[in-house]
Amino acid sequence: MRSKLGKPALFLLCLSLACAAPQLIAKKKEKAADPRSNEQSPNDQKHAVQALNRLTFGPRPGDVQQVMAMGVDPWIDLQLHPEKIPDNAIGTRLAAFRTLHMSGKEIAEEFPDNQMIKQVMDGKRPMPSDPAKRAVYQVQMARLQEKQQEKQAQKLLRKENQQQAIAPVAASTQASDTAKTAEELAAAAAASSGDANGRAPSNLADSNSMSVDPTSASDGKAPPNAMNDSVTTLPTQAKAIPIDDAEARRREDRLYADLKIQSLIDLPPDQRYKKVISMSPDEQVAFADSLRGGKGQDFLEGMNPKERETLLAMNNPQGLVAEELVQAKLLRAIYSDRQLEEVMTDFWFNHFNVFAGKGPERLFLTNYEQDVIRPHALGKFEDLLVATAKSPAMLFYLDNWLSVGPNSMRALGIPDRPPMRPYGPYGRPRRFPPPNPNAKRKSNSGLNENYGRELLELHTLSVNGGYSQRDVTEVAKVFTGWTIEKPNDGGGFKYEPRMHEPGPKFVLGHRIKPKGEGEGREVLHMLATSPQTAHFISLKLAQRFVSDDPPPALVDRMAKAFEKKKGDIREVLTTLFHSPEFWSDNTYRAKVKTPLEFVASAVRATGADVEDAMPLARQIANMGMPLYGAQPPTGYSMKAETWVSSSALLNRMNFALGLTAGKVRGVKVDMAQLAGTSPGPMDAALSLSTLEAKLLADDVSQQTHDSIMAQMQAPAKDTSPEPQDKSQDRPQRKPADVPRPPDASTIAGLLLGSPEFQRR
Amino acid sequence: MSLTRRIFLRNSALAVVGTAAVPTFLTRAAFGAADAGTRNKRLVVIFQRGAADGLNIVVPHGEPQYYAMRPNINIPRNAVIDLNGFFGLHPSLSAFQPLWQQGHLAIVHAAGSPDTTRSHFDAQDFMETGTPGVKVTEDGWLNRSLRDLPPAEQKSAFRAIALGPSLPRILSGSEPAVAMNNINDFSVGGRNPRPSPAALAFQAMYDQSSDSMLHGTGEETFDAVKMLKVADPGKYTPAAGANYPRGRFADGLRQLAQLIKANLGVQVAFADIGGWDHHVNEGSTEGQLANVLTDFSQSLAAFWTDLGDLAEDTVVITMSEFGRTARENGNRGTDHGHANVMFVLGGPVKGGRVYGRWPGLDQSQLYEGRDLALTTDFRQVIGEAIARHMGNRNLAAVFPGFDNQPAKYLRYLG
Repeated sequence: MRSKLGKPALFLLCLSLACAAPQLIAKKKEKAADPRSNEQSPNDQKHAVQALNRLTFGPRPGDVQQVMAMGVDPWIDLQLHPEKIPDNAIGTRLAAFRTLHMSGKEIAEEFPDNQMIKQVMDGKRPMPSDPAKRAVYQVQMARLQEKQQEKQAQKLLRKENQQQAIAPVAASTQASDTAKTAEELAAAAAASSGDANGRAPSNLADSNSMSVDPTSASDGKAPPNAMNDSVTTLPTQAKAIPIDDAEARRREDRLYADLKIQSLIDLPPDQRYKKVISMSPDEQVAFADSLRGGKGQDFLEGMNPKERETLLAMNNPQGLVAEELVQAKLLRAIYSDRQLEEVMTDFWFNHFNVFAGKGPERLFLTNYEQDVIRPHALGKFEDLLVATAKSPAMLFYLDNWLSVGPNSMRALGIPDRPPMRPYGPYGRPRRFPPPNPNAKRKSNSGLNENYGRELLELHTLSVNGGYSQRDVTEVAKVFTGWTIEKPNDGGGFKYEPRMHEPGPKFVLGHRIKPKGEGEGREVLHMLATSPQTAHFISLKLAQRFVSDDPPPALVDRMAKAFEKKKGDIREVLTTLFHSPEFWSDNTYRAKVKTPLEFVASAVRATGADVEDAMPLARQIANMGMPLYGAQPPTGYSMKAETWVSSSALLNRMNFALGLTAGKVRGVKVDMAQLAGTSPGPMDAALSLSTLEAKLLADDVSQQTHDSIMAQMQAPAKDTSPEPQDKSQDRPQRKPADVPRPPDASTIAGLLLGSPEFQRR
Repeated sequence: MSLTRRIFLRNSALAVVGTAAVPTFLTRAAFGAADAGTRNKRLVVIFQRGAADGLNIVVPHGEPQYYAMRPNINIPRNAVIDLNGFFGLHPSLSAFQPLWQQGHLAIVHAAGSPDTTRSHFDAQDFMETGTPGVKVTEDGWLNRSLRDLPPAEQKSAFRAIALGPSLPRILSGSEPAVAMNNINDFSVGGRNPRPSPAALAFQAMYDQSSDSMLHGTGEETFDAVKMLKVADPGKYTPAAGANYPRGRFADGLRQLAQLIKANLGVQVAFADIGGWDHHVNEGSTEGQLANVLTDFSQSLAAFWTDLGDLAEDTVVITMSEFGRTARENGNRGTDHGHANVMFVLGGPVKGGRVYGRWPGLDQSQLYEGRDLALTTDFRQVIGEAIARHMGNRNLAAVFPGFDNQPAKYLRYLG
């Protein structure tokens, strides 16, 4: 909500900034021992470029001059205090993305996944009464039913084939498998929603004709074969004909819907929206289908964010949430004035990586980045560590939410509270059975080491941090009970004592006294204050900001600062930014940009206007770095060797040419203006030198300069590259046979694809 | 070495690009084609990233302990595809069954890296550098394996190729190697047969750049782009019966088959497939592991079919950084373990057999009381392929510090 500051607050911010700047400048003058004491040296520009390359996602036109005018040190100090930088421009750009300010719960409800839809279909959850939400749910339900029917038909076919092959064996296994399945389903149902055993009467009139297959509810949990047979065989056969009918009806509906879109498109946006919301469920399904066609964007034109999102969510509710997150990340990287905060948010997200593709993880991602990572990006490491440990995003990603102490009450099957009387209310037996020594094996409970290991290896001590397999297991025990309340509903952190392993634990030679949730806090404190952690975090920061193999002396000094200042990240970075190593010639352009850094810096350098960041995100994914898509807990590598490959280089060159030629959809550039030329004939040498100054701060090798000059002096040919995005059908300005002089776009593209621009 | 390669390219491929029409036989010969007499041996390495659960992939169904330790996620005896009365394939590997029966597919069980780390990252790194326990090794064994190949081999820009957007550790090193995500996008400024002016400018920039890292990669890249334009592998469509499933892994293998069929001189290739880290709800005959196994086996089987006769000169070896706990954990999944299973597929392979010594699953036989013990070092398996299939006998340079005596080979090659 930072972006929605009122005007008075803004004024105050500006005022404080204005007051702070002179002080900061004054402070700089006192620093005689600074490695860059020679004020007006030509090195000043190089220093400004270095600071911008490392603390931001790359300089924009004019940035170098601004930093030089302000002074490099005051500018760095300001970046270290993002709260002093007004950042309203970004607020406007992000205003359309409502999910950025929603909790996991709200996201789960407003943008339901299949799990949620199934619950509504099963009557375990009421249909939302809000007409907008209702519209989204109705379309999802219809789609899911369609899918389930297809799946059933396929299963049936497969089963028939298989049965012919293994007929004799099947009979003997069926009985036992069915028994296991019933148990599994009961366990799954109990786990996911507390009670609600009886299926409430469906409130969806249509869905009666399409009964819900209970096996697909446990999708991915491997329902054994026998179960499918007993449930699906008959109903599917019985339904074979109605499906065809339904298909015919759907086609007809779609036809009408297309016509309807056409007739609604002339209405004012809010009326258009109201018409859709008040359609019948069948009409809405057909409408959603036809919205996917070419008319979709026209139809959404002029609607407010909520209206837009609702209509888009009718087709892909979860995709919308993920897209808004990706858009926001790129827009912030490109336009936020709090650049260091964005760089550090990206750094910490990657350090505490979670993966969007794992189950309901996407429900938690928005909150994870916004409320867990960003507020601590320049704060205390321990606060950040605790916040991640308690975040549903991390608890889910590394499975800790499921980890149960082998001797916990849950594992031993001990009831919630000691029973006061042998029978529950109304004389019926209590729901919980008495402790059962065999229950342990059967119930889905036990230790999960995943988080314990990565906490030590990747989050704190590092792989050489001197811990053993035993420590991993003990840490896993410590964190038993740190779980999530209803993960599929986007719930929050919960400490569940019944899952917690009793007794003392021994971690890294320390005895952890039994104290429930407090044990985890104690271990996190121990890890956050360990010299190993100080060293590991310092090393990673130095790898991000200095070089792939940073000087050990620098890392040691940073680690000392980390320990002395109790894990204050801002202080560690201050040590780094004021080190001679950071400013040494060896460090200048020592880092190869990651795909995200390359794309963001290219867009920033050109001063482009991004209306839709998704095409940029796809380019980054093509280069091997899908945003929020790093599956392993290590996150993405920061090292050059990972990102320098044939495929990656070609992608970068093509992106550079496409971007500057205006062929990346959703991104507007004006290279002629940047080069200071009119669209007509131009002075090639002048354009080149202007663009060299603007895109690469004049620091271009002779080879690169000569190669571009040579191309411009070669017999003029058509130089425009193929379109970047094949889906776009904008007419090409391609006078195929008319020789034309090289334009500013091509020059800029060549500069952005040059070896120099691959580094920062 | 690289001098030879570059001279060769300057004189052949480059010249070929420069002239408009060249007879096909000339270009074929230029690329060291199979017709020219030297049979091109190939080694394809597949990495299952995330630690695949070997015990549920090649199931020791004759081992009672297996069922005791995995009450919920075991593969029932009647569901495994029995191989020899003791081991059986996960039912999702049914695409492997014909390859096994034809004797092209061999299995090495209880194999892997001897290092005891249970860190994905370190273990993968160790298996890619080929020096378990040594962190300072920078290059990968697959790259090193090219160094001492018999000199008769023609050097091609496509000698070493990784399918994917970045070059993995296993292929990095002094020998040029190319990472390719998509052969259709593998050019600058469009797919015209002639290089675009922008491409020429880029090439000049990178050729002369003093930035050694970018210069090297740039040079390899432009060599490859040129060769690819001439060979046009896009025209090779999958052979009949090669039914690649959808997905990144299958796409990679399909394109690799195209490069091989286009005679681009591929000698070593690498592809990886993720999604094996099943700490929760691993599944049994169906479920998460089953799904990724289907993708894995159908892709490889399609690749095999697609290669046709060329499969005779191809050996495919699969590996994963470590196995998983012998017991299932509390969430019907498995945690990080030790030894694992490797598949070897190829024309010269004596398949239809499970190689290696089975250490057993009794408590006393488990490594650290929890994991399958290791009886075959992965370097033994790979060493045999490099020496006997690829013809590089200098294994000490490929796997420094490992005593790769021919006497220790499993002799899975005919």
